Amino acid sequence: MTAPADLVLARDLGKTYRGAKGTVTQAVAGISFSCRAGEVFGLLGPNGAGKTTALRMLSTVLAPTHGSASIAGHDVAREPGQVRAAIGFLSGNTGLYPRLTPREVLRYFGRLYGLDDARIAARTDELARLLDMTGFLDRRCDALSTGMKQKVNVARTVLHDPRVLILDEPTAGLDVLAARTIIEFVRRCRAQGKCVLFSTHIMAEVARLCDRLAIIHNGRLQFLGTLAEFRAHAGADEDLEQAFLRVLERAA
Amino acid sequence: MSASRVLVIARKEFTDVLRDRRTLFFMLLLPIVVIPVLMIVISDFMKAQLKERESRQLAFAIQPENRQLLRALANRWMHDNGLAFTALAARIGIEGFGGLDDLGRVAERMQTLKDAPDEGGLGDAAMLGWAHAWRELNADQRQMLADGGAVHRFLDQTRWVDFDDLPAAGRLPAGVRLPEQLPGRLAEPRAALAITGRDKAVHAALHVPAGGLEAWLSDDPALAVSLPITVLYDDSQSLSREAHGRFTDFVEALSHSEIRARLTAQRLSRDFVEPFRVVGANIATDSRSAQAILGGILPYLIILFCFFGAFYPSLDITAGEKERFTLETLLLAPISRVEIALGKFLVVFCAAVTAAVLTTVSLALTFTYGILPEGTAQAFDLNFEVPAVLLTASLLVPVAALFAAVLLTVALCARSFKEAQSYAAPLQFLIILPAMTALMPDLQTELKWAWVPLMNVSLLMRELLKGNYLWDFYAITLGSMFLLSAAALWVAGRVFRRESVLLRT
Repeated sequence: MTAPADLVLARDLGKTYRGAKGTVTQAVAGISFSCRAGEVFGLLGPNGAGKTTALRMLSTVLAPTHGSASIAGHDVAREPGQVRAAIGFLSGNTGLYPRLTPREVLRYFGRLYGLDDARIAARTDELARLLDMTGFLDRRCDALSTGMKQKVNVARTVLHDPRVLILDEPTAGLDVLAARTIIEFVRRCRAQGKCVLFSTHIMAEVARLCDRLAIIHNGRLQFLGTLAEFRAHAGADEDLEQAFLRVLERAA
Repeated sequence: MSASRVLVIARKEFTDVLRDRRTLFFMLLLPIVVIPVLMIVISDFMKAQLKERESRQLAFAIQPENRQLLRALANRWMHDNGLAFTALAARIGIEGFGGLDDLGRVAERMQTLKDAPDEGGLGDAAMLGWAHAWRELNADQRQMLADGGAVHRFLDQTRWVDFDDLPAAGRLPAGVRLPEQLPGRLAEPRAALAITGRDKAVHAALHVPAGGLEAWLSDDPALAVSLPITVLYDDSQSLSREAHGRFTDFVEALSHSEIRARLTAQRLSRDFVEPFRVVGANIATDSRSAQAILGGILPYLIILFCFFGAFYPSLDITAGEKERFTLETLLLAPISRVEIALGKFLVVFCAAVTAAVLTTVSLALTFTYGILPEGTAQAFDLNFEVPAVLLTASLLVPVAALFAAVLLTVALCARSFKEAQSYAAPLQFLIILPAMTALMPDLQTELKWAWVPLMNVSLLMRELLKGNYLWDFYAITLGSMFLLSAAALWVAGRVFRRESVLLRT
């Protein structure tokens, strides 16, 4: 049984793809880590390192080929329904239904998450005030700016008040203003005692947000520790980027 | 699996899809507006073309002296038949008939009465009486009236061109050859050139042997010789064919009259020269003949538009959802993949059924009020009896389900809307072929065809529309189609669970 504080737990989690001609691709080669409530955990790595695959396995979109993982005490393979109900997922390129309004999008997902209509309406009002979306709640999504869309996405992610948030490069492709919405959102979640797991390769975000972090390269875990421990990899006059590169070099 | 979650998905997809212009076009606008307008325009155009061809003045190349002879022959026809013809004309409401130049009035009335439906529709009481009188006429009397029309059409709508006014030089186009031993001036290439030339100076050319009427039309049976009149025409051109037909009708009208006169002179009955006679007794009413055509078109269009109705929504809510990066979010909701598949299936299924039902209603109304002449609608009593309609509708259920499941599966495998289109569009050909079988009038609805998907539905709908309830055929069709669509739905469910397909972007 998992300790209740560990909301995300990955044990030797791995994914291997078998190609048509017997080729074997190891996207994630057995990684283990855990994150607790009230903690922001960063998953770092260059493109193609296996970050998205790992997050997709944790969120039950992909089935692991070995190892196991659990979210809020539920195993991803055996109880995918409970796992999905416990997480809020957001990625940088998450889209919205262009022909629906934000209110309709929220109502749709609210119902899928099993909320009743009164609860959905209350949550919609609450999130609209919090994220400053009251002005465009009934406009079609295809008429919204990127920043507005990202706010709707954020609202959709936390609509069902999940205990765990999984964010896959949530600021990718966003401008400074829209990215700030996300950063503030992550801080607020931490303050509420949620567990936030997010992937990025922007060191500034890591420095501002992460309590602990892991670095993946070629599907393997190269570093796991606190932000302070990570900083220790860098020299006195070096920044986090140097620390990151040093971890990758050591892996090579 | 929970029905309420399936419905949540279906409800949202309905809202979404109904705001998509392409879907609305194929599901609503195409059946309601485009089909009727297109069919009415095409049918009006075809009618106008036919009318234009029939009433068009045609040009014949002829020697001036031959022209006189033809006119004399027409006069002779009027002289011989004038009295009888005037009496007949009076019976169908043409009073005060004025001879050769007045034949047009009779021809026009004949046309009206011939086009009239089996029963009712003419409204006018007087017209109704004449239609009744016309139906009472015997074959010979009708023939005489028709002959009058033929004489009129030839004399009235012909422009005569002298051979000398035709261009003399030039090369005959490919595929044109002059038969050997053509008489008189037809042997020169100029007539053939004029018929086939770009400006179509004439539509046909005539040759009548020299000599007066007396030389040929002898009352002495021993001296009777058939007068050969040669008509040069081009069978590949509709107007030239029309010219040949008109002239043939004219000469036959003259022949009928001559035969009558000779038989009378010899005190012989018509039966003497007609030892055998075929009496064709047609037991099909006009409406039955029309049914045979409509009964084939309707199933074809219904199946085709059912497919069109399913096409865009199925692509939009699968490949389109991938393209808009919304699918992954949906997969992360606490619902099963099968529930997603079923919710989406339900929407596409409804779109397909809607399109098919609207097509059926729209076609029925279009034929009834748009294409057929006023009043003939009742005559076309296609079987819109309640049982036939219900059975037809029951066949649409597995058809729409099959289309929805197959299209969803195919479209889900694509990365983008465009890619999905290029996968799904060729399916049309797979559907058109079996759906068209109802259009083949000679293809019998044999029980073995009940095992061929879509072909069975197409043929059975045709029979139902004709009022034939083939229960064994129906049972096999419905059963096999349901099994097939269930299998397609099962495959769709499998594909919706494959992560490699779902995340392929």
